[in-house]
Amino acid sequence: MREKQIDKLKDYKYGFTTDIENIRAPKGLNKEVIEFISKAKKEPKWMLDWRMKAFERLKNLKEPNWQKPKYPKIDYQDIYYYSAPKSASEKPKNIDELDPKLLETYKKLGIPLQEQQRLNGIAVDAVFDSVSVATTFKDKLNEVGVIFCSISEAIQKHPELVKKYLGSVIPLTDHYFATLNSAVFTDGSFVYIPPGVKCPMELSTYFRINASQTGQFERTLIIADKGSYVSYLEGCTAPMRDENQLHAANVELVALDNAEIKYSTVQNWYPGDENGKGGIYNFVTKRGLCKGTNSKISWTQVETGSAITWKYPSCVLQGDNSIGEFYSIAITNNYQKADTGTKMIHLGKNTKSKIISKGISAGFSDMTYRGLVDISSKAKHSTNYTQCDSLLMGNKCGAHTVPYIKNKNPESNIAHEATTSKISEEQLHYCQQRGLNPEEAVGLIVNGFCKEVLQQLPMEFAVEAQKLVGISLEGSVG
Amino acid sequence: MLKIKNLKADIDSKSILNNFNLEIKSGEVHAIMGPNGSGKSTLSNILSGKKGYDVSGEILFENKNLFELETEERAHKGIFLAFQYPLEIPGVNTNIFLKTSLNAIRKARGEKELDAIEFLKLVKIKAKELKFDEEKLNRQLNVGFSGGEKKKNEILQMSILNPKLSILDETDSGLDIDALKIVADGVNSLRKKDNSFLIITHYQRLLDYIKPDYVHVLMNGKIIKSGGPELALELEKKGYENFN
Amino acid sequence: MEEQLKIDFEKLLENSNFSKNNVEIKRKSFNNFIEKGFPNRREESWKFSDLNQIISKNIKNLSFYNDLSKPNKIDQSIFIDGLEHNKLVFVNGRIEKIEFDYEEKNKIEILDDLFLEKPKNANNSLLFLNNAFVSKYFKLIVKKNYSLQKPLVIYNITNKDLVSKSINLKVDILLEENSSLKLIEFSDDKSTTNFININYNLDLQKNSFLKNYKIDNNSNSNIKYYFNNISQDNNSISEIFLLSSGSEFIKNEINCNLNGKYASAFVNGVFILNKTKHHEIKTNINHLVENTKSYQLIKGVLEDTSKAVYQGKIFVDSKAQKTDGYQLSKAILLNDNTEFNAKPELEIYADDVKCSHGSASGSLNEDSIFYLMSRGLNYKEAKKLLINGFLLDVVEKITDFEIKNLIKNIMSLKQ
Repeated sequence: MREKQIDKLKDYKYGFTTDIENIRAPKGLNKEVIEFISKAKKEPKWMLDWRMKAFERLKNLKEPNWQKPKYPKIDYQDIYYYSAPKSASEKPKNIDELDPKLLETYKKLGIPLQEQQRLNGIAVDAVFDSVSVATTFKDKLNEVGVIFCSISEAIQKHPELVKKYLGSVIPLTDHYFATLNSAVFTDGSFVYIPPGVKCPMELSTYFRINASQTGQFERTLIIADKGSYVSYLEGCTAPMRDENQLHAANVELVALDNAEIKYSTVQNWYPGDENGKGGIYNFVTKRGLCKGTNSKISWTQVETGSAITWKYPSCVLQGDNSIGEFYSIAITNNYQKADTGTKMIHLGKNTKSKIISKGISAGFSDMTYRGLVDISSKAKHSTNYTQCDSLLMGNKCGAHTVPYIKNKNPESNIAHEATTSKISEEQLHYCQQRGLNPEEAVGLIVNGFCKEVLQQLPMEFAVEAQKLVGISLEGSVG
Repeated sequence: MLKIKNLKADIDSKSILNNFNLEIKSGEVHAIMGPNGSGKSTLSNILSGKKGYDVSGEILFENKNLFELETEERAHKGIFLAFQYPLEIPGVNTNIFLKTSLNAIRKARGEKELDAIEFLKLVKIKAKELKFDEEKLNRQLNVGFSGGEKKKNEILQMSILNPKLSILDETDSGLDIDALKIVADGVNSLRKKDNSFLIITHYQRLLDYIKPDYVHVLMNGKIIKSGGPELALELEKKGYENFN
Repeated sequence: MEEQLKIDFEKLLENSNFSKNNVEIKRKSFNNFIEKGFPNRREESWKFSDLNQIISKNIKNLSFYNDLSKPNKIDQSIFIDGLEHNKLVFVNGRIEKIEFDYEEKNKIEILDDLFLEKPKNANNSLLFLNNAFVSKYFKLIVKKNYSLQKPLVIYNITNKDLVSKSINLKVDILLEENSSLKLIEFSDDKSTTNFININYNLDLQKNSFLKNYKIDNNSNSNIKYYFNNISQDNNSISEIFLLSSGSEFIKNEINCNLNGKYASAFVNGVFILNKTKHHEIKTNINHLVENTKSYQLIKGVLEDTSKAVYQGKIFVDSKAQKTDGYQLSKAILLNDNTEFNAKPELEIYADDVKCSHGSASGSLNEDSIFYLMSRGLNYKEAKKLLINGFLLDVVEKITDFEIKNLIKNIMSLKQ
C-alpha cells in the first residue's frame, strides 16, 4: 500500500514545470522591487502610491499566529515577487500570438486556451506566475458590456472603477498578508458586469505558479452592478517542488442592488510529498461585500491541494435582504493542513446566510473549520444556518470545529450544527459486497458526504471536483 | 458450486461457528434456519468477506478458495449478499450506486460496461418486474427508505447484478405479506439451473413462497439436522427449543 | 492596583502563619499574577468577557487583604428550608461552620492548611491570584465505599460589611473508590462590588459519583470566577448543574479530564439574566481514554441588556476511540441589546467517535405564542409558559428528585 501511495503522489498530475524564459524582479521585499513591479506593469502614479502606502503599513504589522497550522518562519527577503514569461512582456493581441509553450502548459492542465473558445463557452483568463497571459472571449463579452480582463489592464483602461472599488472590501491595512498583497500584487482578474446584465457565460481564471522561489500575489476584483449576475470559476495548480511557496492572494467582490455573484474555486495547488516536504502555503484573503439591497454572494470552494490552506471567504451583508452563502469541501491527506471556513457579518435587515462545510482528513493531516457568524443589533430579522460535518479516516489525523457565534439581535435566529464521524466498516463492506474496491467505495461514500456542496458547482467544475475528491484520498484507505 | 468444510469462526475468542459443513450445487436452493445467536448472520458475513472474524477450515466457491478473495472479488465472481440490515449511504444516488456496482462487476468479468442509457433501460425493466417504485432509485441509497423498501431494493440489486450465488440474510424479517410475495417472486424468477440460493431465515413463512430443495437447522454454530422442505414445517410446529 | 496588591500581599503574609513551602509558592504565584494581571479579551478564552475591563468598570478601589481574625455572624434564614443537609458555611470568605450531623464521622475527613502547588494551567492568571491570596485551603475526603446520607451544602455568603474586596477560596474534594456525594453550592450575597475567585478541585476515583449543583440566584453586584477542575477515573460519573443568574458577572469554567474508561460527565446549565448582567460558562471536556462519554446542555434567557456566553470544547485524544460527546447550547433573546455568544468547539484526533454539537439563538417562536393565545392565554402568560418550558428541559436533567424540586422552586418553575 505504501508503494502504491507514493506512486499516486508522483501522479500529482499538474506537477510538471514549463521551461520558459522569465523576467524576474530582484529577490526581496523593498521599495525598489515595488517600483519595479509597478513600472513593469506600466502603472499610473496613483497605483504606485497606493502600493507604497500598503508597504509603509506593512512595516507596522505582524504576521498573525492564531491559526492552528504552524509553519516555519517565512523569509520575505528570499522570495521573488515578480516573475513573468519573457514572451508575454509584450502582450499578444490574441491567443494565436501566444508563446506555444504557454499554450502547451495550459493544454496539459486541461485548459486548452484555443479550444476553449470553440468548445464549451467559458471565458478564461490565464495567470502564469505573476502575469495574466491570455483572456479569451473578450469580443463576445464586450458586446454586452462585460469587462473581463487582467487587473493590470483594468488599472490602465478602467482606472475609475479600480480606484473606486480596489480596497473597498479588504482595506489596505486589513491584516499582514492582505497588506503584503496590496503592496506587491502582480496580476489577477478584473470583472465588471454592467447594470441589468446577466453574464452570458461562465468566467474563469486559471492560476499557475511555475517559477521556483516565487511568491504568487494575485488580486481579483469583481463588481456586479445593479441587477446583474455573474458566475466565476477559479482553478489553481503548481509544479512539484521541494520548497514551500507562498501564495497570498486577495479577492474582492462587490454586489450592488439586486446583483448576484457566484464564486467557485477548485484549489489544487501542489500539496507537498507524502512526507510533507514542499507544497504551497495558500494564505488567501477573500471577501465579498453585499453592498446593495437584495444582493447575493455565494462562495463555493473545493480545497484539496496546498501544504497549508488558510482562508476564510467571507460575506459582509450590508444591504437589506442580502444573502451570503458558503459551501466548502476541504480535504487533507498525508501531512497537509487546513484552517478554513468563513465569516458572515450581518449588518443589514433581513439578511440571510448559510454555511455548509464538509471537512475530510486522512493520513497525518489536520483540518480545522473556523467560522464567525455575527449578527449585529441592527440586523433585524436575520438568519443564519450552519452545518459543519467532519469525516476522519484513521486516528493519526485531526478534525476540529471552531465556530464563533455572536447574536445581538432578538429578532434574528442562528442555528449551528456540527458532527464528526468516520466511514463505517459496515458501509465499506456493503459497497465492496456490490463489487467496488475499497478505494472506489471510499470515493463513492465521500462524494455522497460532499454532495450538498458538489451540487453547487457549475457542471464543468463539478465533474472535475468529484474526480479530485477521489484522487485526493487515494492511498488513505487500507 | 459452494463447498464449506469444517468451518470454524471466532470473534474476540468467542466461538460462533464450529465444524460447519455445507455443500450447495448449481441450481439448488438451500434454507438455513436457526434461532437468534445460532450463527446465521456470521455465516453470511464470512461468505461475503467481512473482516473481524478468526476463521479456519475451507470454503470453496467454484473450486476457488474464498479466503483468498477480497469482498469485492467475491462479488465479481458472482456472490451476492442481500443484507439483513441494508446500509444507508447519505448523498449517494441509488441509481449511480447500482450503475457503479454493475459496471465494476461487468468489468471484472471482461464484459462491456453499460452506458447510462443501457443501464436505465435495464433498471426500468427490473424495477417493473419487482413493482419497485422507480422514482425511489433517484433518492439517496436507502436513506429514508422504509424497512420493506430497503429489502426490496436489495432484491432489485440482486436481479440487476444477476449473481450465481445469492445469500438472503433474513430478507423476510420486517416484511408485510405483500412485500414478502414480491421478494419471493423476485427470487423465483431468478431460479435457474446455474443459479443457487442460500436463504437464511428465522421463520418458515418465506419458505411457503420459495420452495427450498434442502433445509438445514443451525444451532450453536453447527448444522444439527438436514432434510427436505418438510423439516421446516416440523421445526415450526415444535419450536427450536424442543427440537433437540 | 499593583501598589495595592503588593501592600495587601505583604499584610497577608505578616498576619498569617503559612508554612515555609506555602509562603514560597505564594510569592511565586503572586509575582506571576503581577506579571500577567487580570485576563482581558486578547486572551482567546476571555474573548467574549474582558474581565480586566469588567473589574475596572464595576469595582472602585479593589483591595486584596481580608481580615479573617474575627468571626462573622451567620444569617440562619439563608439556610435551605425543607432539605436535610450537611453544611460548610463561608461568610465573607471565612469558614464559620462545618457540620456533618447526618454522617458517620470516620467516613469523612476534612483537612486544612494543605501544601499549595503551582497551578497546572500556567496561562490562567486567576489561579495564581487564588494561590497567592487564599488563606485556608480545604480538602474534603469521602472515604472508600461511603455514600453521604444527605447532601452537603457549601454556603458562600457575603454580607453588607464586604465592599470592593477580592475573596479567594480553594476547596478540594476527593471521592474515594465507590463513594458518592451530592454537593450543592449555594451563593447568597448582600455585599457590593467584590471580586470572588473560587477554585474547586474535584477528584473522582473509580466508580464514584458526584452530583454537583451550583446555585447563584440572588441579584448582587459582585464579579465572580469559578474554576472547577475535575478528574475522573474508571466508571466515575459527574453530574453538574449550573443556575447562573444572580451576580453581576460570573464566569464558570469547568475543566473535566476523563482519564478512566467508561467515565462520563454531564454538564447542564441555565442562564437567566436581566439588566446589565454578563455571565459565561466555559466547558473543556477532555476525552483521554476509550469509551468515555460527555453531554453538555446549556440554555439561556436574556432580558434588558444582558449578555451570555457559552464556550464549550470537546477534545478527543487519538487514544480515545468510542468516545461519545454531545453538546447543545440555546438562547432566547428577549430584548434589543441582549447578546448571546457561543463558541462550540470540537478538537478530534480519533476516528471511531460520535461527536456533535449544536448552537441556536433567537427570539421566542411567535407562532407558538399565537397558538397559546388562541387557547386563551394573554401574551405575557404565553411568553412565560414558553420560557419555562424552554428552561425546564435543562432542569429535568437533574437526576436527584429532591434537589430537582428545590431548584424548580428557586426558579419558580413549579407547575
